[in-house]
Amino acid sequence: MNTLKETAPAEPELKDHVQSPDSKPAENEYTIYGDKLPRMQAALDGVLEAVSEYRKIRKAVHGDDPVEHCLSRIKTDASMRDKCTRRGLPFTQETALTEIKDAIGVRVVCQFLKEIYGIRDYLADVSGYTVVREKDYLKKAKRNGYRSYHMTLLADGFFVEVQLRTISMDTWAALEHQMRYKNRSGRAEDSLIISELKRCADELASTDISMQTIRDMIFEEGAFSKPSG
Amino acid sequence: MMIKILLAEDTRDLNRALTAVLERNDFEVDAVFDGEAASEMLGTESYDMIILDIMMPKKDGLAVLRDLRAQNILTPVLLLTARAEVDDRVTGLDAGADDYLTKPFAMQELLARVRALTRRHSAYSGEELVYADIRLNADRFELSSQNSVRLSIREFELMKTLMMNVGHELDTEYLLDHVWEHDPEANPEAVWLYISYLRGKLIAVNSRTVISGERGGSFCLEEGLS
Repeated sequence: MNTLKETAPAEPELKDHVQSPDSKPAENEYTIYGDKLPRMQAALDGVLEAVSEYRKIRKAVHGDDPVEHCLSRIKTDASMRDKCTRRGLPFTQETALTEIKDAIGVRVVCQFLKEIYGIRDYLADVSGYTVVREKDYLKKAKRNGYRSYHMTLLADGFFVEVQLRTISMDTWAALEHQMRYKNRSGRAEDSLIISELKRCADELASTDISMQTIRDMIFEEGAFSKPSG
Repeated sequence: MMIKILLAEDTRDLNRALTAVLERNDFEVDAVFDGEAASEMLGTESYDMIILDIMMPKKDGLAVLRDLRAQNILTPVLLLTARAEVDDRVTGLDAGADDYLTKPFAMQELLARVRALTRRHSAYSGEELVYADIRLNADRFELSSQNSVRLSIREFELMKTLMMNVGHELDTEYLLDHVWEHDPEANPEAVWLYISYLRGKLIAVNSRTVISGERGGSFCLEEGLS
């Protein structure tokens, strides 16, 4: 497990909040945060609460839950130590909570593309929350094809990294991660494999847009029926 | 990559002369002297183009051509006809030949026709259309600008049609005829859906180009205000 986390910063293992809402992290793995841990947990709960609130509102309008699932985690000591080492930072409470901005992480997986921006706007508007940093990997995918919307919130005094994506983006990220980090043969570095994975990402992105267009046509919303978005 | 041609011509001198000229112009040539040998070669090798004399021993050029097309092999075929026999030329073209040349002919003309027939083939697969900040790659069905997505065959055909008619309004009827030509089920609603797909995908690749137009009306690809 530790080796996986070591080599895999992009896809941390998050616990599923829908399926296991009461699984508390083992305290001894989170010593780096000291007495701040309960308040971090509270800040995380606040963000999760805001996501649930958005789901309720959308459900009332559309009748469907716009979120497929929502995961969250607080970085363990081991994972935080690795990250500090990689970035050449001291492994201290101060660094873990200020320099490193993803000690608290939330991942929201939506069914449709437009919900990503819906949740983004909703979270940015929560009173007391400040958007510190945003990266739209939908508009400009990473070189390998990775897509997600990343936003860092300052919520109740703590940085929270929120990753927003569709089911297909999540599927791609999970499978790409699995092939890349669990295969030691070196084949994953093969340029054919890399370009084929990129092609899969581009096809899935295309399908996401088609699905959104079909949904809009059914609900007569006209997402892309105007020349410009 | 070298373009590979099968030449079937029973007149030895002409066969030798044609082979020499084609090889000097960087074509790879397999030369045979009768129709049966041509069919045999076609059964085992693949070619970019075939030159067939009509009058040949054992099996004539038209029979070779008909067998080829019956197997659904669409390799371009240039027929060589002995005299200006109108019947031969009509029969040849109807049997699936792409072009013909009447003997005697000038070598320059033969070379020009060979180039035309082989060019059409390669231009079709390796094409990349460019307009403003977008590129459409025909090998990969890829639409790209600052980002890239893969298109379906129909989306690709529609995008290609729009890119080849930049600045021109194409009405729904025209698009149905040109992009959906083989689909009897197609209707204006399908055109509208595919226009909507492409609009979404132009936004997804972060392009400044837009498709203007309304449901059921005319559409035009143009540069939007960035």
